[in-house]
Amino acid sequence: MPLLEGRGLTKLFGRLVAVDHVDLAIEHGEIVGLIGPNGAGKTTLVNLITGMEAATDGRLTFDGHPLIGLAPPAIVRLGLARTFQIAQPLRNMTVRQNVAVPALFRAGHVAGVGAALREADEVLASVGLGPKRDFPARALTTPDLRRLELAKALALRPRLMLLDEVMAGLTPTEVDAEMAMLRQVNARGIAIMVIEHVLRAVMGLSHRVVVLHHGRKIAEGTPAHVTADPEVIRAYLGTTARASP
Amino acid sequence: MSAAAQIALQNAINGLLIGGTYATVAVGFSLVWGILNVINIAHGALVMLGAYVTYWLFTLYHIDPLLSLPLTGALLFALGYPLQRIVINQVVRASFFITFLLTFGLELLITNLALAAWTADIRSVTTSYSGWSVALGPIALPVVRIVSLLIALLTAAALQLVMTRTRLGGAIRATASDQEAARLMGIPIAHVYALTFAIAAATAGIAGSLISLSFPIFPAMGAGYTLIAFVTCVLGGLGSVPGALLGGLLLGLLQTYAASWLGPNFDNIIAFSVLILVLLVRPAGLLGRAQRFRG
Amino acid sequence: MPRVTARGLGGPAGAILAAAALAAALLLPSVAGTYYIRVVTGIFMFGMLASGWNIVGGYTGYPDFGAAAFIGIGAYTTGILMSRVHLPFAAALPAGGILSIAAAVAMGSVLLRLRGHYFAVATLGFMIVLQQLASNLDVTGGGSGMNLPPVRSFTTFYYWMLAGLVVAVAVGFVLPRSRVGYAIAAIRENQDAAQVLGISPLPYKVLAYATSAFFFGIGGGIYAYWFTFIDPPTVFNIDFTIQAVVMTIFGGPGTAFGPLAGAVILKSLDVVLTNISIFLHNVFFGALVCLLVIFAPRGLAEIFQARGGLIEAIRTEVRENRI
Repeated sequence: MPLLEGRGLTKLFGRLVAVDHVDLAIEHGEIVGLIGPNGAGKTTLVNLITGMEAATDGRLTFDGHPLIGLAPPAIVRLGLARTFQIAQPLRNMTVRQNVAVPALFRAGHVAGVGAALREADEVLASVGLGPKRDFPARALTTPDLRRLELAKALALRPRLMLLDEVMAGLTPTEVDAEMAMLRQVNARGIAIMVIEHVLRAVMGLSHRVVVLHHGRKIAEGTPAHVTADPEVIRAYLGTTARASP
Repeated sequence: MSAAAQIALQNAINGLLIGGTYATVAVGFSLVWGILNVINIAHGALVMLGAYVTYWLFTLYHIDPLLSLPLTGALLFALGYPLQRIVINQVVRASFFITFLLTFGLELLITNLALAAWTADIRSVTTSYSGWSVALGPIALPVVRIVSLLIALLTAAALQLVMTRTRLGGAIRATASDQEAARLMGIPIAHVYALTFAIAAATAGIAGSLISLSFPIFPAMGAGYTLIAFVTCVLGGLGSVPGALLGGLLLGLLQTYAASWLGPNFDNIIAFSVLILVLLVRPAGLLGRAQRFRG
Repeated sequence: MPRVTARGLGGPAGAILAAAALAAALLLPSVAGTYYIRVVTGIFMFGMLASGWNIVGGYTGYPDFGAAAFIGIGAYTTGILMSRVHLPFAAALPAGGILSIAAAVAMGSVLLRLRGHYFAVATLGFMIVLQQLASNLDVTGGGSGMNLPPVRSFTTFYYWMLAGLVVAVAVGFVLPRSRVGYAIAAIRENQDAAQVLGISPLPYKVLAYATSAFFFGIGGGIYAYWFTFIDPPTVFNIDFTIQAVVMTIFGGPGTAFGPLAGAVILKSLDVVLTNISIFLHNVFFGALVCLLVIFAPRGLAEIFQARGGLIEAIRTEVRENRI
């Protein structure tokens, strides 16, 4: 049974179809890339999965538990973590405290604040934010904020992480470092869905790629398969262009 | 007409008549909230000032309230402009809690200055026509209330005209939509905000004038009117003149019917219960823009 | 706005200072006259109210502008139980606190779903409604109010208020360092982010609201016994709330001792001013609120801890908030 399974997921905003009958499955330990041009519905789909938007239609289960109708905290406690496209730190709390919060509130949480802070230190060290752990979160640079988002997600001890555009704005070197970090995370058995525009990262990381366009899934398969798919090329580049290698 | 139908009709008429006054109280509050994103707790205090201005002009100079009404509006306008420009503008970009607290402080200041100046004695304005009423079949219509409703409608219409047909109105609405863009287009934000508040203060003053004709005047009277303004806005939506009008009429009807069933001492309870219900069911109000206010 | 790192006075020095202050407070009635005991009792009361308010308004970020509703509930519960049921004060007072908690849980479950402006004004409306209810019911004595049994020893109230204050400050100190406190801080900082970190906001918000309500209820109960007579406009009075709010802001909403410091300073000032002119002390308060909000919205505590000195800190605040 897949870890996450969605069938016919649909979201309407008035008459705007943001997500159009999307079927999605993520297996344990997989890395799945979710790509598509801007406005394809990727973030809305993530919002549906994490319970931040109510699906207009469709079924969704995580490890057998139905997710439709659950509030976000309950979904998180089942083992599903997400990061936001625009980082959402707890601004006036320190970096350490930011990471202590998920350690305190996940299912199977640590016993007390002291233990949570110690665990936060470990997680922060693993993402390279150790030296900045006493900074207030609002003092961090954007790349560091992204790291913090990742750290918070890790502190939830999830089985599936939904990462929304973690590579945006990074230099090629930073992208490589981030990819290495995500491979490490995956090696621990955590399934990951990466929503990305940085195609090099998605193609390099993913076992499988799903392509959305105008809310519909238009292709699915290995990275090589998907990049050669004419409909995907058309969606990204228009009808007269061809994909370059 | 049966007695029950008569009572129902009388209630409806009374409700609409008082609702017009509520609308005038609320429309300025709604404007300031919708456009400046400031909840002006001192709005009721401005209404109180309008009532007192009317009272003193009447008592000292024998100027009829309906004649002094424009003057009251102008005086409150003149008070409102510097109040916004110099004081409230200082915190306009801060969290709502800060602006809330500031207007709270202003309310304290204004109310207690009034208390110190004029004592807590209850005043009223009694003109020659105060007791007149017009009979429409079995229904009695107090003249003063009819005139209040007419003036309320006029004020709402004038305000709506200003907002939709004048350059000032356009500037105000542009500023409300997107402050940065408005500033980039050369709109003087501080001045526009001050004018908006001044207009709102003027309508509060007019409302105070109307209220002085039928209700007691005392320094602490403002708080109840602020609550009315709030409930009216919640009912009718923010920043919308027609919304304030609709909300005011609705609230007037609701209160009048409830008062006739439960007694006159329950008006605040009604207002609050309505408030809660609407906030839970339809936070945008009946005509307002939808905003995310759920926790 | 407030930080979770509730920085008060550091470590052992702070503890010694607090212990000394407590000892002084315990000994005061044996050396001071009645007038001063009354004044200090008032300071204790507002210290407790401000510390309580800070829990829901400062730590959680939900400014309860109707907190005086619970003063009324506590006052009337204590009054009714003492004068009609003839319970002793030691039983009637906690009953007032418990009823306040119950009312807060009931109202909070509804009102705390609202955010921002709506919550603040809805709570205010709640207080106004209770005031009107109290004016219309027989059990509360209606608009004429009710009397409580008189007490001979004035120091009773002093010690009750002191006890309440100590508990309130202790809660304010322990809470932000606890697991519940972390949830509350996360909710205040970013409620959506808190949800995806596994926090269901409503129960924690209700807890904070009920805790605050408890202290207002206790304050109301002691107040009723102290003044022997209560009526709706006196106890369901926004003045209590405003003073608690201003004291919290003045002293620093993110700290455990800030609200108490604010209460001490402002109440003392208020007493001095009342002796100068009874009418003007409210005007002063209004002006003070305006000035505070414009120049020191994060409270004086933060200003003093800021780098670059006092003037620069004030200038930065103003620049951020004005047009």
